[in-house]
Amino acid sequence: MSRILVVDDEAGIRKVARDALERAGHEVETAVDGEDALGFMEEKEFALVITDLTMPRLDGRALVRRIRKSSDVPILVLTVRQEEREKVRLLDDGADDYVTKPFGVAELVARAHALLRRGEGRAGAPPLSRFGDVEVDREARIVQKRGKPLHLTPTEYSLLTTILSKPGAVWTHRQLLAEVWGTTAGVTSDTLRVHMGSLRRKLEDDPNRPRFIRTEPWVGYRFSPEG
Amino acid sequence: MLERLRARRVGYPAAVLLVLATIGILKLFPGLADSSVALLLLLSVFLAAWIWESGPGALAAVLATLGFNFFFIPPVHTFTVEDPRNVVALFVFLFSGLLIGRLSALARRRLRLVEAERADLAAMTRLSQAFLSDTNRESLLGVAADRLRDALGAEHVTILLANAEQALAAAAATSAEDVRRDLAELAYRQGNSAAFPSRHGGTDIYLPIPVGLQRAGVLVAIGMRRSEGLAEGCAILLGLALERERFLRLAREAEETKTSEQMKSTLLASLAHDLKTPVATARGAIENWSAQAGDSESAGLALEQVELLTRRIGQLMEVVRLDSGLAKPQREVVTCAEIVEAAVARFGDAVAGHSLFIDLPHSEVRVEADPAQLTEALGQGLENAARYSPAGSEIRVSAVADGGSAFLRVADQGSGIPPSERERVLDRFVRLPTASGMPGTGLGLAIARSLVEMNGGRVRLSGFEGGGTLFEIELPLAAA
Repeated sequence: MSRILVVDDEAGIRKVARDALERAGHEVETAVDGEDALGFMEEKEFALVITDLTMPRLDGRALVRRIRKSSDVPILVLTVRQEEREKVRLLDDGADDYVTKPFGVAELVARAHALLRRGEGRAGAPPLSRFGDVEVDREARIVQKRGKPLHLTPTEYSLLTTILSKPGAVWTHRQLLAEVWGTTAGVTSDTLRVHMGSLRRKLEDDPNRPRFIRTEPWVGYRFSPEG
Repeated sequence: MLERLRARRVGYPAAVLLVLATIGILKLFPGLADSSVALLLLLSVFLAAWIWESGPGALAAVLATLGFNFFFIPPVHTFTVEDPRNVVALFVFLFSGLLIGRLSALARRRLRLVEAERADLAAMTRLSQAFLSDTNRESLLGVAADRLRDALGAEHVTILLANAEQALAAAAATSAEDVRRDLAELAYRQGNSAAFPSRHGGTDIYLPIPVGLQRAGVLVAIGMRRSEGLAEGCAILLGLALERERFLRLAREAEETKTSEQMKSTLLASLAHDLKTPVATARGAIENWSAQAGDSESAGLALEQVELLTRRIGQLMEVVRLDSGLAKPQREVVTCAEIVEAAVARFGDAVAGHSLFIDLPHSEVRVEADPAQLTEALGQGLENAARYSPAGSEIRVSAVADGGSAFLRVADQGSGIPPSERERVLDRFVRLPTASGMPGTGLGLAIARSLVEMNGGRVRLSGFEGGGTLFEIELPLAAA
């Protein structure tokens, strides 16, 4: 059971999210906007913050930035589809994930759980080393699929271990470039695409319909270990 | 010109008077040596030449020589010279007088020119400062004519500017005085300036106002008393000021457009939010409710309808965005495989009842397009294929390169579209009569076409022998 803060100016959305999360066994507090949410956060510790983007007073993006100044609590943002570029900015600002409205309750709870698990993982759980029929041996730097070793280039290996570090998370192009290449200067997202494409060809059963490494359109990539 | 003439008219008698007065004064002191008399007379020549310049200066020199001979060289009061040495002295005196007069006049004239140039420069500086302080066309033109009249010492100044149809019209004038249209037209059309003596005195001048290689209009100064060079400089300054004002105006307008687009964009974002939030609430509430009450057919139906409503709202928002002019493509190089993946991920639910095949024979088919818009377009094609072909039938999505183009295709096994209707169904709100029983807005394919064309591509519909429709997006391949 975790304590979750839901921030939305719409009473309906607050109720829907509260019911779904409480049914999943969590304790839920609700706030009506960013200012309100910051007030709650001063009083209590939360394991996850779920916030809407468009709100009076302090909006979602400003709230993300304010929270990131003092806390690394996981943040899930509710957006509407037209805001693709806004999503990238949100993630680069420090949001962990987003759900697109109108979202399914199951999707919301699944995303929340992925973030909660990762939140706990920060305390030092061993990093993921197995998904589908792929196994990663970090000590030996060997990756096997169906028991057969895969030949990954150093960049591909580095890409794989990076996305494995946050199962279920979205990575923006910029974040991946910074993490794997150590710089965003001189490397374009084209380079990233080429390496990601070849990593997929080696890992996925059907690279045309990838299960594990999914493209998040115009944002980046999402690694989903459940496939 | 006129001032010099006037000065010369006064100059000759004045020079004569000056020399005669000098002689008169010298006669009052009979004890003076001849050499002193000669020097003092030369001084008067110098003064005459300094004040009235060359002509009167030369006259003063000749007169002083004659006076020196007549009044001072013995025998006095005659023009005869007894001593041959005095003849030489007289010639030396005449030569010196002429030379001093000439040098003095020359120095004076140079000084005068330098002063005039300095005054022109000062006038230009004042004018340019005044022009620079004005950032608005009306206020600039409002005072420009008065400022130019003062700077040019003119009776009257008119500024004629060309309008959009290249016709000259008076934009500013110091008074209602008429100017010659023919000369103004000549100056504007051919860039020839015209200057001639004015009936007010001074010069009338017609000057083109240069703006880069073009001309903005014509500057007319009537009865100008300053140099033509200054007038030309003023015309150039005026051109620069007008050009500067135009650039400032363009920059302001660009800024205003940007602000209004930002406002529209904010409005649209909040419209999308306001439309989708109630749907999201309804969907969540139904799901929560059915989770408590146990799954039911009604809940399933409600969710299906909510899903449909969501797609309609998405289409409507897309149409609003297209019409608002905000849907400007932000193009980048993407592979068609990514577009297919994204479209299948996003519109996958719509084709869940069909067997979907994805065919990407060329791994790197790259196009330069806005990825979100291209995905939306392909998704509309997918959704259309799913809607108008029987459940369980095959839908094939492919991306290939052929010639210089990339082709994104969706092939279905539906009833097909008659060739005569294929162009028309790409228009808004056009639906086939055979589709009348099915839900749909007739917007999907129209949206796809607008989005693709915006990115420099084309959308085509064609058919197959045994039925079925091929939806095809063609885009130029990105340069390698």
